[in-house]
Order: sequence, then structure tokens, then C-alpha cells
Amino acid sequence: MEQQKHKPHRQSQSRATADKTNGKGGAPTSFNEKAFAPRSGRRADRQARRTAERDQTRLHVPLVNRTPDDDPPPVIVAIVGPPGVGKTTLLKSLVRRFTKQTLQRAQGPITVISGKRRRLTFLECNNDLNSMIDIGKVADLVLLLVDASFGFEMETFEFLNILQSHGFPKVIGVLTHLDLIKKTSTLRDTKKALKKRFWAEIYQGAKLFYLSGVLNGRYPDHEIMNLSRFIAIMKFRPLVFRNSHPYLLADRMEDLTPREEVRLSEGKCDRRIILYGYLRGTNLQQHSKIHIPGAGDFTITSSTRLEDPCPLPNIGSEKLRKLSEKKRLIIHAPMSDIGGVMYDKDAVYVDVPGTFAKGINEAPLGEGERMVFALQDASTTLQEVTSNKPIRLLGTSTSGLATGEVPTQTDQGWESDSSRRDSDSTLSDLEDTSADAYETDDLSERRSMKSIPPASPTEYDRRLYFAGSDSDDSEENVSQENSANSVTGDSPSNDDPEISENDLDDAPRWKCNIGTTTLTKCGSGARPSRIDWFKLVYSSALTPTQILQGAARVDPPDAEDDFFVPVPGGGQIVEQQDATKEPSIVNSNERWSGVGALDTIRPQFITGLGDSSDQRRGSEEPDVEGNFEDLEPNVDGGDSPSTIQLAKKESLRRKFDELYEDPGASGKGFYDERKEEMAKQSALNREEFQSLDENMRAAVQGFPPGSYLRIEVERAPCEMVENFDPTYPIIVGGLLAAEERFGFVQVRLKRHRWFSRTLKTNDPLIFSLGWRRFQSAPIYSLDDHSVRMRLLKYTPEHMHCYATFYGPVSLPNTGFCAFNSLTPESKGFRVSATGVVLDIDRSAKIVKKLKLTGVPCKVFKNTAFIKDMFTSALEVAKFEGASIRTVSGIRGQVKRALPKPDGAFRATFEDKVLMSDIVFLRSWTAVLPRKLYNPVTSLLLSDKSSWAGMRLTGEVRRSEGYPTPSNANSTYKPIARTDRHFNRLKIPRKLQGELPYASKAKVMRPQGKATYVQRRAVVLEGEEKKAIALLQQAKALRKDQIMRRRQERDRKASVRKRIAEKEVLEKEGRKKRSKQEHLRTAGIKRKRDIESDERSQRQRI
Amino acid sequence: MTAPTDSANAPLSFSGHEHFRHRLVLSILSGRPVRIDKIRSADANPGLRDYEVNLLRLLERVTNGTVIEISVTGTAVLLKPGIIAGGPVTHECPLSRSIGYYLEPVIMIAPFSKKPLDLTLKGITTDDKDLSADMIRTVTLPHLELFGISDGLELRIKKRGSPPLGGGEVQFLCPVIKQPKTINFVDPGKIKRIRGVSHAVRVSPQFSNRMIEASRSILNEFIPDIYLYSDVYKGNESGKSPGYALTLLAESTTGALHCSEAISEAGATPEDIALQSTYSLLTEIEQGGCIDRLHQPLVLLYMVLGSEDVGRCVMSEPTARTIQLLRDIKEFFGISFKIAPHQGSQSNPPELLFACYGTGYVNANRSLA
Repeated sequence: MEQQKHKPHRQSQSRATADKTNGKGGAPTSFNEKAFAPRSGRRADRQARRTAERDQTRLHVPLVNRTPDDDPPPVIVAIVGPPGVGKTTLLKSLVRRFTKQTLQRAQGPITVISGKRRRLTFLECNNDLNSMIDIGKVADLVLLLVDASFGFEMETFEFLNILQSHGFPKVIGVLTHLDLIKKTSTLRDTKKALKKRFWAEIYQGAKLFYLSGVLNGRYPDHEIMNLSRFIAIMKFRPLVFRNSHPYLLADRMEDLTPREEVRLSEGKCDRRIILYGYLRGTNLQQHSKIHIPGAGDFTITSSTRLEDPCPLPNIGSEKLRKLSEKKRLIIHAPMSDIGGVMYDKDAVYVDVPGTFAKGINEAPLGEGERMVFALQDASTTLQEVTSNKPIRLLGTSTSGLATGEVPTQTDQGWESDSSRRDSDSTLSDLEDTSADAYETDDLSERRSMKSIPPASPTEYDRRLYFAGSDSDDSEENVSQENSANSVTGDSPSNDDPEISENDLDDAPRWKCNIGTTTLTKCGSGARPSRIDWFKLVYSSALTPTQILQGAARVDPPDAEDDFFVPVPGGGQIVEQQDATKEPSIVNSNERWSGVGALDTIRPQFITGLGDSSDQRRGSEEPDVEGNFEDLEPNVDGGDSPSTIQLAKKESLRRKFDELYEDPGASGKGFYDERKEEMAKQSALNREEFQSLDENMRAAVQGFPPGSYLRIEVERAPCEMVENFDPTYPIIVGGLLAAEERFGFVQVRLKRHRWFSRTLKTNDPLIFSLGWRRFQSAPIYSLDDHSVRMRLLKYTPEHMHCYATFYGPVSLPNTGFCAFNSLTPESKGFRVSATGVVLDIDRSAKIVKKLKLTGVPCKVFKNTAFIKDMFTSALEVAKFEGASIRTVSGIRGQVKRALPKPDGAFRATFEDKVLMSDIVFLRSWTAVLPRKLYNPVTSLLLSDKSSWAGMRLTGEVRRSEGYPTPSNANSTYKPIARTDRHFNRLKIPRKLQGELPYASKAKVMRPQGKATYVQRRAVVLEGEEKKAIALLQQAKALRKDQIMRRRQERDRKASVRKRIAEKEVLEKEGRKKRSKQEHLRTAGIKRKRDIESDERSQRQRI
Repeated sequence: MTAPTDSANAPLSFSGHEHFRHRLVLSILSGRPVRIDKIRSADANPGLRDYEVNLLRLLERVTNGTVIEISVTGTAVLLKPGIIAGGPVTHECPLSRSIGYYLEPVIMIAPFSKKPLDLTLKGITTDDKDLSADMIRTVTLPHLELFGISDGLELRIKKRGSPPLGGGEVQFLCPVIKQPKTINFVDPGKIKRIRGVSHAVRVSPQFSNRMIEASRSILNEFIPDIYLYSDVYKGNESGKSPGYALTLLAESTTGALHCSEAISEAGATPEDIALQSTYSLLTEIEQGGCIDRLHQPLVLLYMVLGSEDVGRCVMSEPTARTIQLLRDIKEFFGISFKIAPHQGSQSNPPELLFACYGTGYVNANRSLA
């Protein structure tokens, strides 16, 4: 058989590759060190500086990351985009890529394992602005989907603005529907245009993925693989707000309210709900305050750490090279339809989709099925129904069955029931009585414990002092406590002391005497050396002085025996004062003046001689941090002289280094030092409480981020459960101590330049600040020459201004964004303003200008009496010395109130004022924001996007049909100013005659006769005539020329006008065509949406 | 829906007049209202004392928006805290307690105010119940430096005033911080120097020298580095009543401070006072720990208010005030301390290691505008 002839490989034409393959150019096999060496010293200097500068730009401010590295919580990947863009498809594709499972319904957070050290929680965001806000606050990574065939939509930009004001998380753009663009050049141009816009919005070089068409209801596998690889290796920088607050994204919610209570209140009672989720951010204390955006503030009733439902694969086996296929299949999505088994603290739920379970299939039901479902909806019991209404056997029968017997029967039933219960209790009583002797079940044991009288004081103290020392005993306690709790369902912290107290009685007899014997051995004053201070301080009922005095426990007076209890000391109580200094120890003089007493503390001084180890500790370089552990081998124990020599040398060298090296030259700059410090602190954080048991650790430290928590919340509104919708995220945000308070919050605010209207003072605005979303009424202000904060009626254009509103306090530097309305109906861009919190206070110093006006009632020379400015002498007294001014600009001062017209006062001016002048006083009046705080309770609504808060005044007027009130004096009218007519000044002739010449009116009469110039005749001569005729002709010529020029210009103008009109017509035509095109694509998109909806419905069916 | 304010507005209740100051301070810092009832209700003279009412007035002045309601009998107080405002404040203290009584709670809240505090207090500067002005200047303020509060922190003693008539005046300047530093203070070190201030007003200036002599006679045995200053105030600056006192302070190699003080009593010579002070300093040193016993509450409180990291500090056994403060901190902030014997402790009742996880308390009052 002949060898098959292959086509030879085409040689590369590019020069570099060609050189390499041919070996012509002598391709460098090794790095040539001289190649980049600087040629001159100056150049070397410049290069070094450039490298240093580049290194500096790489650095970021070191931030402590509170998320533990060893077991971090899953990364929240939010999939955001407008409807119909392919979010669910992407979610399903990603989940399939990671777990090889196909989801039918993807709802709520879905947690999968993506690698040895990373889990991902996928979360799809619906098109509601409320969800977008909440998800923007918790998402670590956002996959921003954009329909390439349509372009960016307003929601995308709104979401980006929300992200920006809440600490920008990482964003990856994903372009979908690229297969709809058929033409290659259009595709290329679209990609380029969208990328440019995306980069402008995020940052230059932001990652953008392209997903082409859908195959089998998923995106192409290789594209999804690329995207998933990118997600799996992404690094995150901690965001300041999330790094200082604990929070969790609830992936499950249970309602634990007793069913009977719900039934009796017809579902309107407050609920006890349980939320499950991974803790993120910082540590969560057991009973801290939380805020659930959309629902309100709550206090955690109890919180427990549960076993991780989706554990990282590295637990147990350290050396896993790669994720095994089996580990990959784990998926935790309680709100979707997978798994079906859920673990709670004390129960396991198995979801069995039975035939008659509601809400499983939306397929049309048969009549029988509907009947069964209708039975499930019954809100009352049969007993209630029968007691209220007579039973009718048939629908047509007129009179009901006589139910006279029925109640008695039911009564009997109850009686029998209760009697059975009674017998039960008597049985348990019997058991109780025998409980001292026999081992019984936990419940009865617990009851019996309560009946036992309190332990004797010595035993009690022994428990306190030896609680930590005896491990067997304490273990026993814990196990018993646990079992008791699991039966009764009590929280462990409630009756802790009681139980442990009672448990003591079960201890063997030989143990009971230990306390007393040791106490007697140690003597009355001395205490046993091991004292469990934690228990003494936190879980004993002793007062601090009792604790310090040791065994001296005060016996409670027998209150039952004596009605009147004598006050010790007969009313003359020696008052215990709140003094810092304790009364000086009386016997200290004897204590220290004894022989050799001073020597006992000599080792505590640097001059004192202690034991050898002590000496070393004292003489070594003092370290304020103090947590350096000497890692070098024990020098004292070393036997070979060489090691001693080495150690000596080493220590000498260290001393030398310390002396002569400046700290900057050690290669560690500020940055490295800071990082080292942070690493040290976080190592300490990890190790300090590791030795404690689980419960104590939770008490001291709280729960660390990454733990899967079960959080119980009391008094949740019933609507939260009734209107629960898994597509809306439930976020549990922990609150800091300051954030529970209310006050006036001053923020720096800027109206968004895409928001079409200005914002008006006192109009309600919806803020998204911290975890909360709430409506408040801000007032805007500007700093007026650093003298005052002056009220603004409207926000300024293109400028920051201050806003002050009443609401929950947030720490300064927290960003926020504001909206006028959250409903999808509101047109245009909905983010109305963004800003940052500056200041928190209980009062606001905003003023607005107030002009008080008055008129003179009597004018003297420079003094005038002014009325109508004030109403009483008291008011005048307040303004004494205030500067006033007339409209004509004469300045003056308020002097003193006048007795007669109430509120009138004497004022002096720099000049005489007219009676017709208006006098005004410019003053400033304080304005306080209205105390409106209206939390956005969108989670409680059945239609969650339709939350409507307080309306604007204008909106209320429009909807109610009220006219806008208008002050007649404030309307603008045409100002009619009549001409002032001055009569002629007539001076009597007699008077005129007597006036001196200077004062006489000098009236000139008009000239009566024609003057010489008017009268004379002009005769032209020949030359002159000619000249004039010539001038006339020249003028006529010029006139004609101008006229012709004008005509020409008009003609040209009319031509231009014609052309312009034609162009306008053409432009309109183009516009019309493009509009048609746009509408056509929109129509196609809508059609496609409908189709996809139908398809998904079909799939569900 | 649950009103957002109902949980925040529910006041914490306490009974009794003891630990009054701690509870007020914790309330102001945490922002939670507090109700204290049964204040000396069984006493022949029930209700708040004048100095307690005066303290409430001072706190009202230092803060903004604080609401204080005192019942008709004076046996119950409701405090709804506002924000800590700071700024210049002048306050007249009654003669029943010294300035230390007022300064101690103010020091706890002052770094978290809106503006740097400039507080002038007038009254008694040294008495036997509370920290004297000298002690606060030389011991309490250095303790604050552990937490990064140092720039602009100062206490100026302008006039001294001894009981019973007082007439002293001090000026306390405190800067504003964002967050106290987390401390990790586990090495008590060795005592390396001893300092002291002895003052005598309206008595013979020889008294202060006699006290110094007597004290040195004992302390010289331990260490050579001893400086005891004789602080002389004359004329108008020396207040209205005669008195003298000796304040001693021992500093270790790692910066741990221990202090003691004794003030003049009727029928005691200056030498007696000096010996009393010296011996109690020795007792204090014997107790060990990195923190002076009188300052345990201050340090523990600042540890709680630190960032969300583990702070550690070695102390001697807690005093009654400390124990109650720990319990109250748990009520207000939900934080408990890990209290364990310190490894490598030398003293006989072993030193204790207090470790806690800070609440991440940030000074929300600080203004950026």
C-alpha cells in the first residue's frame, strides 16, 4: 500500500515565526541579559524610577478581608438583565456545566461547587427595581446580560448606577441573541459599539462575553465553559460596607408558627419564621439586630449553626488534586425542584410530590382533583361548621339535620380526650415521684428537677468554682442539657443555670463533698486556684461583691414566714458609693512592713533576681505587641557547644542589625508592614478561640462567615409568608449598634443627569441606604459662604448639594441612591439622585431667608416710627439693634418698641426716609426636615413591584381633583405704571417781581420772526448747477446699483430656502424609515418573548 | 409590619444606684435607652444624689438630643441618648464628689464625639473616692494611648482644690477618633521606673518633701529610677482648702502602668500618707497584670469598641466594678469576654487573659462635612 501523500504544511509568512522555524534569525534560545541593559547611567536611573513608579501604581490600600480563607461562603453570582434576554437559559446552562443536572424550574439561590476551594451561589434577578437594589447589595459578581440584537436597555443602566452607589462589585457583561444578527459586518459593528458603551460604563477593558444561539435550550457548551472558567478563578476585593456588616442571602424560609394559631387568626397573626443561609461579611452575634430589606427590622430570637448542605470537597481529605465527578453533583437549591430532602436543626423534611399536593403541576385539573384541593382550602374545622350551620344532607333539602346531639357528642369527645390527658399527667406525676430513685426519660427528669428544692449553698458554690475543672461533670451537663432541649424545644440559653444547678443532684455522692473538703482545706479566705471566671461573670446569679468575697453567700430571707422583713442596720444603711478607688487595705502596712515581705515582689522589677526563665523574659527586648513566640530552639536545653555558639552569633547579629539598619531599608515599606500586621491579627483571630467549645465560642465570638445558619425571627408580618415568592431574594442584613438609631442624616447629593426633572425640597424620595430602602422627605441646602446652610427649593443643575432628611442612621461615607418611584410604570430613568452620607445629628442647622416688612408711621429727621413689622413689643425686644433697610437703600437700626401701636418701634436711619418707603428686616429662620420615615415593604405585597409610598402633593391633587391653591398676591400681573403728571409751576407775577435775579424763572419765548438765514435768497451759478446735477446723477446711479444688488440677494436666498426645505423633507423621511425599522425589531423581540414564554410553559406542562 | 423603632426604643432596665455611671456611658455609646429604677428606694433619703443629677446634666451638655426623665421621687431615671457632640463645655461640679467622678465617664465617651471635646470642670481635684486629677493625667490618659488616642489628648490642672471647699479647675482636651485600635497586651514586663507627684496646697510646702522622703525610703530598695515631683501651687491656684496627697506610678518595660494614691487625713502625718501610698503601690504591683486595677473597666470597654478583631489583655483579678461592667457590656453590646488564666503567670492568684471580639464600633458621630 502506498504511503498517503499529505499536503505539506504551509509555511508561516510572518517574519518572527518564519525566523523561528527556519532558525535563520538565530532565535534567542536563552535570555540575553545585556539586551535590555541601560546604556547610560541617566537612562538606568530613569528606568529604575519608572519601575518603582509602576510598582507603586500596582498597590492598593490594604484592606482586611473578614472572610476566612479556609472555608469561605459561596460566591454570589447574580444574573441580571432585562426580560427575555436569556437569564434563565444562562442559569440552567451554568448549573448544568457545574453539576451535570438539568433544572426544570430555577428559583431562588442555587449553590454549586465549582472547585476545591470555591462554591458559587447563582441567583437570577427579576426585572423589579427592588430586587435589583437588594441583589446589588449582596452580589459578589454580576453577570450582566445584554440583548445584542436590541442593545442596552434602561434597566441595565439603572442597575449599574445602583451598583456604583453601593460599592461596585465585579461585573462581567454577556451579550446574547447574537445569532439573530445575520450579517457578519453588522455583527462586528454591533459588538464593537456595545463593547465601547460597556467599557465607558464599567471601566476600559471590562470583560464582555458573547453567547451565540441556543442549542437544546442551553447556550453552546464551549462558550459556557469559557464563562464558567472565568467565574471560577475570579478574585474579589472586599467591599467596605460588606466587610463591616454580617449578612446572609436566605436560600430557604420556613414558617414555624403553630398551625392552630394561624387558623384561629385566619392567617393574620404574626409569624415565627426561620431563615437559612450562608453567613457572609463579618461575624454575626447570636441575638443581634437585623434588617430584612422589604420587610423591616427584627431581632434574632435564636440562631444555630447547621451542617453545611453543600460542603466543600476539601473537608476531610487534604490532598485532593482535582474535584471528583461525584463531588461535582452536589447542588443546593431548596427553592427549586431538586433534591427534595432538607435538614433542619431537629427534623428532616422530605419533599414528596404527592398526587394531591398543590402547586406542582399547573396542568388543568380534573373535577375530582379540584374537589380534593378545595377540601384542603378549608379555613374552619368541621366542628365550627356544624355548630354554626345545620347540616344538609342534600343540596336541595330545605331543613337541616337536627344537630342537638352533636355538640354533646363532641363535648364528650373532648372530655374523654382531656381525661386521657389527665391520666397522662398523673402517670407522669407518678414517674416524677419516683424520679429520684430511677432513671426515667428526659422529659420527666426535667420536671422532677424543678420540683427539687434548691441545692445547699456549699454545693452551689462548689458548682461555680469547679464547673470548668471537672470535665466529666461538665460533659454530662452538656449532654443532658442538649437532650432536654431537643425534647422541649427550649433554647439552650434560657434555663441554663437552672438545669446545671439541678443536674448536680445526680452527681455521685463522693463528688458532693469535694467542694466542702477543699474549701476547708484551703481555709475560709483562700479560694481554690482554678476558678472559671467566665461562668462566674456571665452565668452565675451572684453579685460582683459576692463573687469577690468567695464563699460568703447570703441566704435569702424567708419571705413567706415573715410579712415584714427588718431592714439590716435599722434604716441606717451604710451607703455603697459608686467610687472608683477602693478603701485602702488597712492591713497593708503590716503586710509590707514584715520581715522579707518586700522580697516577695522583687522579681517583678528589672533589678530583681528571679528564676532564669524569668530573667530572660525581662531582659529581652520589650515588645508592646507581646505576641512573639520564640520559635528558635531552646538554647538552655541545647547540649552541643556549636549550637550555643550559633545562637550567640545570631543574637549578636540581630542586635547589630537593630542598631545600624534603618527600618525603611529592610525591604519592607509601609505597605508590607501593614499587610504583615493584618496577617498577624487575622491569625490571632483564628487561633484565639479555637480551644473553646462550640457554644461558648458562639457566645464570645458569634458565628464566623462561611457558616450555614438557621436564624429564627419572631413577629414577622404574616404577609411575608403569605406572599412569599422565591424569585424575590430575601436578604438578612446585620445592623451595627449605630444603625438602629434614628436622626437627621446629612448627605451630599447630586441629581442624576439622566433624571429628567429637578428634585424639590420636602418632596418624598425613596432612598436605598445601607441595607434599607425607605421613603423620606429631604430638604436641600447649600453652604452659603461657610456662614450658614441655606435652604434650596430645588436641587441645582450639574452640581452637588446637601440634603438632610430624617431616617435611620448610617455611618459617614456610606453611599446611597435615591428614586422617585420604584414602580415599572414610571417612565424614563428612575435613579433620581446619588450621593454619600456626611453627618449624623439630632438637629439640623438649615435656614431660609425671611424678610419682615413695615412702613413708617411717622418720620422725624433721621428717626422714624415703623409699624406693621412686628405684632408685639416682645418681638421688637428680640430684634433690638437689628439692621434694617428701606427699599431705596437707606440703612438703619431697630431701636426701641413704642407703647402705642402694638409692635411699632423707633428706628434710626442714615438719612431721612420717606413716608412712602417700605422698610424691611432681613432675617434667617430655621427649617427642620419633616420626620417622615416610610420603609419600602415590597416583600410583603402580593404584587411586589407595585409598592407605592407617600405621593407628591401634585400627584395627590391630580388624582383627587383638587385645584392648586394660589395666592392672589403671588400671581404675576402686568404692571400698569401711570405717567406722573406734574403741573406747571406758576409763580405769581407780583412774587416774581420781588425775587432776586438769580431766583427768577428765566423763560425764553420761541423766536417769532424769520431769521436772516431763512429770509435770504440763493441764486446758483453755472458751475455750481453743473456740480449739483453731477452729484444727483451719481446718487441716482448708486441707488440703482444697491437696488439691483438687493434683488440678486433675495433671489439667492429664495433658492437656498428651497434647497433647505427639500433637505428637511428628506430627513423626515429617513427618520420615519428608521422608526419603522426600530418598531419592526421591537415587534420581533416581543414576538420572540411570547414564543419563549409559550415554550417555557409548554416545557413546564 | 414591625415598627423599625420598637426594638431600638425598648429601654434596658436596671435597678439600684450602683454602677450608675457605667450604665449611662454604655447607653450613650450603644445608643440604647436605659431605665434605672429603685435608686435608693429603701433609703431614708431616697432618690438620686446631687452629684448624680449633676452628672446627668453634664452628659446632657456633652451630647445633643439626649432626653433625661427623672421620676418625681427621684428613684427612677430614663435616659434616651442622643449623639455625642463635644465642643467647648464648662461645668461646675458639686462639692460632694471630686472632678474624677465626672471625668471618668466623660473620658469613656469623649473620643467618639462629633467635635474635639474641650471640657473645663470646676470643683475638687483630689479626694479619697475617685481618681484624682493627677492620676487621670498620668495614668488614665496613657491607657487611652494604647488605643491610638494620643494626639491632642491632654488634661491641664489649672487650679487645685482639696475637699471640703474645692476651688480647683481642670481642662480636659480630647481628640476625635474613627475607631480605637485593637490591643494585644499580654506581656506585663518588669517594672523599670517609678514616678510620682506629691502636692500640698495651703499647708507648709515642706509636707510634700517629707512625703517624698518617706516614700523613697522604701522604693529605693527596688529600683534606682525614681523621680517624685513636688508640685507646688500657690495663691489663687491652690484652691480654698488645705490638703496634700502623694500619687505614685510604676511603669514596666512593656508600658504597663500601676498606680496608687493616698491623700491627707485628719491626724495623720505626711509620712503616714506616703507609706500608705507606697504600700498600696506595692500591693498593686504584686497583683500583676498589664493594666492597673482601677483602669480595668476603661480598657475592657475600649476593647469591646474596637474593630472586628480579637483583642487580648492580661489583667489581675477583676474588681467588683469590672465584673458588673462585663455583665452590662453583654446586655448592651451582646459581647462576652473569654476569661482564662494567663499562661506563664507569676503572681499567686494567677493573672487572667481577657480576650474579646470587637464589635466593629465606628464613631458614627464624626462629621465629614
